[in-house]
Amino acid sequence: MRQFPLSPCKGNSWQRALEAFLFCCLHPVNWQTLMYMRVRLRDCRVGLRETPRMSAFPRAGDVDDMKAEGNPDAVTPTRKIGLRRLAAVGLIASSTFSGLLLLSGCKSKISDRPIGNPVAIHVPLGLPPVPIPPGNPPTADSIALGRKLFYDVRLSKDNTVACAFCHNPSLGFTDGMGISRGVGGMMGVRNAPTVVNAAYLPLQFWDGRAVSLEEQAASPIADPVEMNQTHEVSVSKLAKDSTYKAMFLKTFGPGPVTIGRVENALASFERTILSGNSAFDRYQFGGDKTALTPAQIRGLALFQDPKRGNCAVCHSIDATYALFTDGKFHNIGEGVGDDGNFKDIGRYHQTKLEADRGAFKTPTLRNIANTGPYMHDGSLKTLKEVVDFYAGGGNSNPYLDKEIRAIALSGQERGDLVEFLKSLTGAMPPNVGPPAKD
Amino acid sequence: MKMNLLLKICSAGCAITLMAGCSAKPKSDQPAVPAAVPAVTYFKVDPATTGSITGTIRFTGKKPMPKVIDMSEDPACVEAHHGKAFDESLVVAKNGSLSNAFIYVKQGLEGKTFEVPKTPVTIDQSGCWFRPRVLGIQTNQTLQVVNSDPVTHNIHPMAEVNREWNHSQGPGDAPLNRRFVKPEIMIKVKCNIHSWMHAFIGVVENPYYAVSKDDGTFEISNLPAGTYTVAVWQENLGTQEQQVTVTAHNSTASNFTFKGK
Ligand code: HEC
Ligand code: HEC
Repeated sequence: MRQFPLSPCKGNSWQRALEAFLFCCLHPVNWQTLMYMRVRLRDCRVGLRETPRMSAFPRAGDVDDMKAEGNPDAVTPTRKIGLRRLAAVGLIASSTFSGLLLLSGCKSKISDRPIGNPVAIHVPLGLPPVPIPPGNPPTADSIALGRKLFYDVRLSKDNTVACAFCHNPSLGFTDGMGISRGVGGMMGVRNAPTVVNAAYLPLQFWDGRAVSLEEQAASPIADPVEMNQTHEVSVSKLAKDSTYKAMFLKTFGPGPVTIGRVENALASFERTILSGNSAFDRYQFGGDKTALTPAQIRGLALFQDPKRGNCAVCHSIDATYALFTDGKFHNIGEGVGDDGNFKDIGRYHQTKLEADRGAFKTPTLRNIANTGPYMHDGSLKTLKEVVDFYAGGGNSNPYLDKEIRAIALSGQERGDLVEFLKSLTGAMPPNVGPPAKD
Repeated sequence: MKMNLLLKICSAGCAITLMAGCSAKPKSDQPAVPAAVPAVTYFKVDPATTGSITGTIRFTGKKPMPKVIDMSEDPACVEAHHGKAFDESLVVAKNGSLSNAFIYVKQGLEGKTFEVPKTPVTIDQSGCWFRPRVLGIQTNQTLQVVNSDPVTHNIHPMAEVNREWNHSQGPGDAPLNRRFVKPEIMIKVKCNIHSWMHAFIGVVENPYYAVSKDDGTFEISNLPAGTYTVAVWQENLGTQEQQVTVTAHNSTASNFTFKGK
């Protein structure tokens, strides 16, 4: 039962439909299974490739799915299918077949591209221009729509959880929790990273499993431990609301509300959540040599010195801007257990390369003083703990990045690094809070 | 004829598939049996045949001046240590007795395999200090690493025979549970963050080891009668050995003296 839904995205839509059909003929299926397959095929169509199904830790949702799949039929001897049963299966299968064909075969022909005039996104001191994908130029309307969606709890199953629940503007667009919780208090698996400056990241998520903000946006909505709402339901909830109807029409032109349009609007809004112009930026790029305290200036020097702190090899500072991330994946030893294994294998989920075991994406350090607790598992509570973690050389393991080693730092030097990290708190743009509060 | 054979193979194949298919029942009610491990017979110590070794470790020569450890670079450590910290690499009492020496049976137990104690040996990081400084542990016994301090430590056993590792442990973090699989005298341990923190771990394959107490004495008991090589190690003074013959129900004395400069 598991193989089918685990790889719904191989081949073209016809092959997928055929696979689904054969699957129905060969396996006992009940309606829950069919629903599940339908959702998986859909996810695959909207670009949710294999996303939330991570073998190392079955999510709470998986358990539900398994319950749905571990139906009594599954354990009865399957080959002794009587004629009646065969006929029944055939019937269900053929009807699903056509349904699946519709779902997987007919890719939406409706354009998800905003129709208005593209707007230039203002970039604060210390950041490069925002990369814009050709298919989704941000418009005033798409940004406003995305902003409304970002703060809308209706994107979740029980109307309690908005994106902003876990990416809260007053907590630097994080949730201040070690591990995030979604609808009904369901425990997630990782720490919520900030969405500030996510516009610059070549890959989204700690393990890089989404290639764009567009692709990323749909995933928390359907994720069982986040918002847990199928895209059909989200879309139909929004389509029933006259304000949204008008906004979607204005933004994308005539046509139904689609998940693609939701994704594009959310992504365009996120491209405006930029933060720069921190004390560090004014010192480094703005020519204001008084913007940093002496301790912070010493901390910056340690941060950049490859023989000392060596932080900037991964948390990059470029000549004209600083993202404080190389966008790459590194193993710094966070999360390794007593047995030497990683409970969360990180980038390895995507690449299956040994060297990527326990490697996670370098997070930005902008506004870091406001976004604790730290690391993918939220296990370090303060910036002092983070700096001490690095000073001690992290945690040894076979996949440790070669740039991580014990650094002889005096107590004062460790304090200077912490002070420097606090200088990275920048201004937030004016229009990224909840829309009602304007 | 050929066709017939093919058919037979085919149908056999089908039958096998069928059988395999039908027997695909859930295995849940079957208890998981671990892969067969070759049975180890542990050496049974017969109390009727055992005796003990007792002794005192002494140091003759000029007693080292107490050296104060400077923790000022981490004020949290100064506070956590409660009072002055003194170098403990050579601690000699007034009468010359030497504490923190590691004594173990080096030879005479060959061919005997001893059960691994279930209770862990604990090393605590407390007051930015390893407690105890010198400890013994059996191969495969659990070493429990605790951090009682309000600061992060990074314990680093610089093993040469065993695997070397280091691990960060923040305030309030859960204990680490690690093992050393090979005997090693001694593993030097440091904290990667606090340069003054040191400990030494003696990993042995039997339960016959001791660390000399503040008065320099030690006792190794429950040892089967026989002749052994007993060795003592001290971090600054090196090692010494003695032949000791243990007889049942008796305590055999074995004293060691390190000569200072
Ligand atoms: C239940 C909490 C929760 C909700 C609700 C949620 N997120 Fe997230 N978000 C997370 C967590 C946790 C991660 C990291 C997951 C991972 O890497 O596996 C994340 C990652 C992201 C990232 C990637 C950032 C990076 O640095 O890689 C973006 C962008 C993002 N979320 C946007 C959104 C949007 C848009 C929504 C609403 C549609 C949303 N999130 C809803 C918890 C949440
Ligand atoms: C080898 C690359 C590398 C180096 C060198 C490096 N980091 Fe990191 N940093 C990372 C990665 C990867 C993570 C995320 C790790 C995880 O969650 O498992 C991270 C996480 C962090 C975090 C937590 C961010 C958050 O939002 O949770 C901080 C703070 C941080 N690093 C600061 C530093 C400092 C200070 C230094 C220098 C002393 C440094 N880093 C050196 C790669 C690096």
